Amino acid sequence: MEKRTVIGILALQGAFAEHKTALEKLPVKRKLETLLVKTPEDLARCDALIIPGGESTTIALLARISGLLEPLREFVKVKPIWGTCAGAILLSQEVENAKKGGQDLLGGMSITIARNGWGSQVESFEAPLEVEGLQNPEKSFNGVFIRAPVILKLHPSSDDPPIQVIARLSPGLLPPALASPDHSDEPKIFVALRQGLHFLTTFHPELTDDNRFHDYFVRECVFTAKR
Amino acid sequence: MSDPEMIKKIVDAVTIPVMAKVRIGHFVEAQILQAVGVDYIDESEVLTPADDEYHINKHPFKVPFVCGARDLGEALRRISEGAAMIRTKGEAGTGNVVEAVRHQRAVMGQIRQASVMNEEELYVFAKKIGAPFHLLKETARLKRLPVVNFAAGGIATPADAALMMQLGCDGVFVGSGIFHSGDPAKRARAIVQAVTHYNNHKILAEVSENIGPAMVGLSIDSNLKGGNYADRGH
Repeated sequence: MEKRTVIGILALQGAFAEHKTALEKLPVKRKLETLLVKTPEDLARCDALIIPGGESTTIALLARISGLLEPLREFVKVKPIWGTCAGAILLSQEVENAKKGGQDLLGGMSITIARNGWGSQVESFEAPLEVEGLQNPEKSFNGVFIRAPVILKLHPSSDDPPIQVIARLSPGLLPPALASPDHSDEPKIFVALRQGLHFLTTFHPELTDDNRFHDYFVRECVFTAKR
Repeated sequence: MSDPEMIKKIVDAVTIPVMAKVRIGHFVEAQILQAVGVDYIDESEVLTPADDEYHINKHPFKVPFVCGARDLGEALRRISEGAAMIRTKGEAGTGNVVEAVRHQRAVMGQIRQASVMNEEELYVFAKKIGAPFHLLKETARLKRLPVVNFAAGGIATPADAALMMQLGCDGVFVGSGIFHSGDPAKRARAIVQAVTHYNNHKILAEVSENIGPAMVGLSIDSNLKGGNYADRGH
C-alpha cells in the first residue's frame, strides 16, 4: 500500500480538533493520515502542518516551552504549512500590535500582519468571501472572523516565490480605523494568501461545513510539494 | 462585577482574551461588561446571585457567555438561554476537585445514557432532567455537549487539570488554585502544560515536579456531598 501523507495539526491550543474533522471529510482522506502535534517527535513524522486559530502569543509560548519553536522554524523552510487566524500571524514575517516585548514568529510568508485588526470578541463577524483561487469560485465562502488579524503589507523580495491572492473581503467590512480614504484597500481586504509551499487564512474555514480551503491546501500545497 | 476601570487595565495589559464575572441574573452588569469590551462573560454562582429564580437571557448579547452546570439538564437549560460555553460548577476557592469531578461525571454519564435512547425515551429523559428536547436530541447525536465544556471550581494541581481533561472537558479554568499557591507563576505554567499534554504521562510527571506548595485543599463538608456555591442557580 502506498504510504499515506501525514498532515499534522499543531495541537497546543485553539481549534485543532475542528481541522482534524474537516480533513477527515475530504474526498482524498484515504491518502491522508492526520496527527495532532504536541511534541517535536510528533512534528518529525509530518509531511505538512496546519497551525490552527487560537491566540498567537499563547501558541508561540506553548511551542517554546514544549521545545517546538526551533523544530517549527526548520519545518517552515522545507515543508508546507497552513496557518489559520493565529496560525496566520505565526506564519508572517512581521506583526504589528504585538505583545509588549515582541512575540515569537516562524516567518515563512513575506507579509506584515496586525493582531486583532477588528478589536475584541464582540467585533467578531461572519461575511461572504470572494474566493477566486478555489474550486467553484462563483460560490462565495462564509468567512468566520474571530478576533481576526488584518494583512497590512506584502513585501516579497525578488528571491521569494510570488504571493497569490486566494480570497478577499468586501472593502466595506474593514474596520473604520483601517479603511483608506482613497479606497486603496489592498492588501487589507486580502484574507487568504498563498506563497510557495505556504498558505494562510485570517479567518476560520474549519468552523464551517464547506471544505474547499482544506481541499485547496491538500491539493495545491501538500500534494504538489510531494511530487 | 469588578470595577470596569480595573477590567480595562487588565485588557490593556494582556494579549489574551479577558473574561469577567457577573452575578447570576444581573443582566445590567452584563450590559456594562459588554460595553467595556470584555471578550467573554461568566454568569457565576461564585458571586452572590442577583436573582434567585431567573438567569440572564443571553441571546440579545453579542458577547459570549459561559455558565456553570452540575448535570446535563442544567447545562442544556443554560445553553437554551444562550450560553455559548459551559463549565462545571465545582466548588470554587477550595482547591478541592471532588465537586468538579462529580459534575463532569454527571454530564458525561447522562450524555452516554441519552446517546443510546430512541426518540420516545429521549422525550421522557428530557422531562426527567428538565432539558429542552431539541438540545437533548442534538447532544445525543453528537455524543457531547453542543458547546465547549470547561472544568472549573477546585482545580489546584497539574494532575487535577489533566484529570478533568481525561474526563472529557475541552479546557480548564483555574483561579485561586494558582493565586493561592506557593509559586503562582510556576504553577500556572505547569497547569497550562498539563492541559495541552493531558494524555502524555511522561510530560505530566515532568511538569508536576518542583512547582512549590499547592493551595491547601479545604474540605467542602464532612461527607463531600454538595458544595456551598454549587447550589446557587438551577
